[in-house]
Amino acid sequence: MSIDLIRPSADKPAPVPQTLVSRDCGPEGCEVDWLASKRHEAELDIESFNDFALEKGWGDGLPLVPPTEGRVRAFLAANNRYPDEVIARMPDMSECTVEKIVINAVMAGAPAESLELIIAAIASIADPDFELYGVNATTAPVYPMFVVNGPVRHELGIPFSYGCLGGEANKAAAMGRAIRLIMRNVAGQVPGTTCQTTFGNPGRIAGIVTGEWEEKSPWAPLGERRGVSGNTVTSFGTMGTINVIDSTSHTAEDFLEMTARSMAYPGCNAFSGLVPFAEMMIAINPIWAEIIGKEMPDIADVQECLWKHGSLDASLFQANHRDELEKQERIRSDGRVYLTPEPKDMLVFVCGGLGGLHATGFHTFGTSLSQTKPIASVAG
Amino acid sequence: MSTGYVLDPTANREDDNASPGPDAGLLAGKHIGFRLDRMWRAWDWISEQWAEKFREAGAQVSFWRSAGRSGDEGDRCEREYAAFLDSIDVAVVGLANCGSCTGWTVRDSITAANAGLPTVAVATANFETFAHEIAARGGRSGLRVHVLPYPLNENRREEVLPIGEAHFGPMLETMGAVLDVAEAAE
Repeated sequence: MSIDLIRPSADKPAPVPQTLVSRDCGPEGCEVDWLASKRHEAELDIESFNDFALEKGWGDGLPLVPPTEGRVRAFLAANNRYPDEVIARMPDMSECTVEKIVINAVMAGAPAESLELIIAAIASIADPDFELYGVNATTAPVYPMFVVNGPVRHELGIPFSYGCLGGEANKAAAMGRAIRLIMRNVAGQVPGTTCQTTFGNPGRIAGIVTGEWEEKSPWAPLGERRGVSGNTVTSFGTMGTINVIDSTSHTAEDFLEMTARSMAYPGCNAFSGLVPFAEMMIAINPIWAEIIGKEMPDIADVQECLWKHGSLDASLFQANHRDELEKQERIRSDGRVYLTPEPKDMLVFVCGGLGGLHATGFHTFGTSLSQTKPIASVAG
Repeated sequence: MSTGYVLDPTANREDDNASPGPDAGLLAGKHIGFRLDRMWRAWDWISEQWAEKFREAGAQVSFWRSAGRSGDEGDRCEREYAAFLDSIDVAVVGLANCGSCTGWTVRDSITAANAGLPTVAVATANFETFAHEIAARGGRSGLRVHVLPYPLNENRREEVLPIGEAHFGPMLETMGAVLDVAEAAE
């Protein structure tokens, strides 16, 4: 038997935090005169512009802010990047420049100070191991979620408490929307044309941009555990959120068993006969995290526990599906099929309100692998 | 109402190769490579069926199966596929029968076509337009795409094989291939 293990591509360098050179142009702002994008004449009132944008196929159906040259210049002037810098090459080899990121961020209503977070997020999903090629095209409802670590959570107001996965009033939704617009307008993810998503997902409007509540976590921050300390963003292609409610458990193992067993259902991505391996992400609320952390101060023990219970006995699969899993050598000697190849592939972070009671699970898409990137900062 | 200028938020690659690439020509003596995947049993059945016909026409046939495309397994796949393309004369690449698998089918087809190989991508009807769209965005709008009926994989083997039989001739046309010398001389 040979289980396919998840190992990152050996062809990429380790992420190194980038320090930007200040391009402060003084109180008058920079005269950025090398914007290369095509100009379109348009009515600039909200209704007319949004009709125009819908006709052009630029939007997601919600109101957009017109990306006038003035707005784009002001956004750039508040940052330390040149607009022609190529941040990533998209699956079709189109270039995602700072200029394109800024135009889409303006349309989404994202604040100028979020540019470095958005850039790091784009760099993360453009990493070949994220498999954006498949994420963009698939029939699945996958969209990227981003977990932010470091002081930047506070500086940008990234939510990590009540309603952090959606619904709290904050600017993280606009940052997520900017990323989604870039995926549409630059990476070419247009439903029915270059994307075959059968149902789509509400998360395809603004994705998820959440922080980890590091101050309430008994474990090291997610980014640090993945080898990058300080301000980081971790991307994970998710099919959506799965809520787990548990008002009965008392112990670490009980909470983790309930959570993991709830993730292991026959039709989930990780058990698909189409994929040889998959990761999982699990958000644990701060109340449970405290209880679990007392019994399991080593995160590896938490992952091991989740992994052990995140499995199904092969006999519970229908015969045809069991045959597929058998062909893939996914049924182990104990007769079970596990969500992920190894405990380390069960990714855990802490967030959520102090009401506790719930965990949230995230199944990934196909073999898309999560990526952690540093968020650049200005020297000094 | 005020009028002004807004900046275009979209980006596309600007180059395109609209050529379908070379015809496969006379198949006798050539090495034909099938690109398979881990998804579609119907494509396994049809490729086995077509392979037998290629062998009868004097061609050699090999198969390569795509697997996970991320992490070190993705690296391994890339290396294996490059070596596979080096070893064949004609590429038959499938199956474009879902979103991501159409993406990867077209991407692997473009890699083969850009290597100069006569190449045909095989798609099911529901994904035909999508395959052409992805090929154009990938800089190869003229990519040859042969279209099988949809749905396909939902059918049983005994239902799929007659479809493969009926499509062998049209697929040869798509790839610009001929089976015998007399036909090649026409």
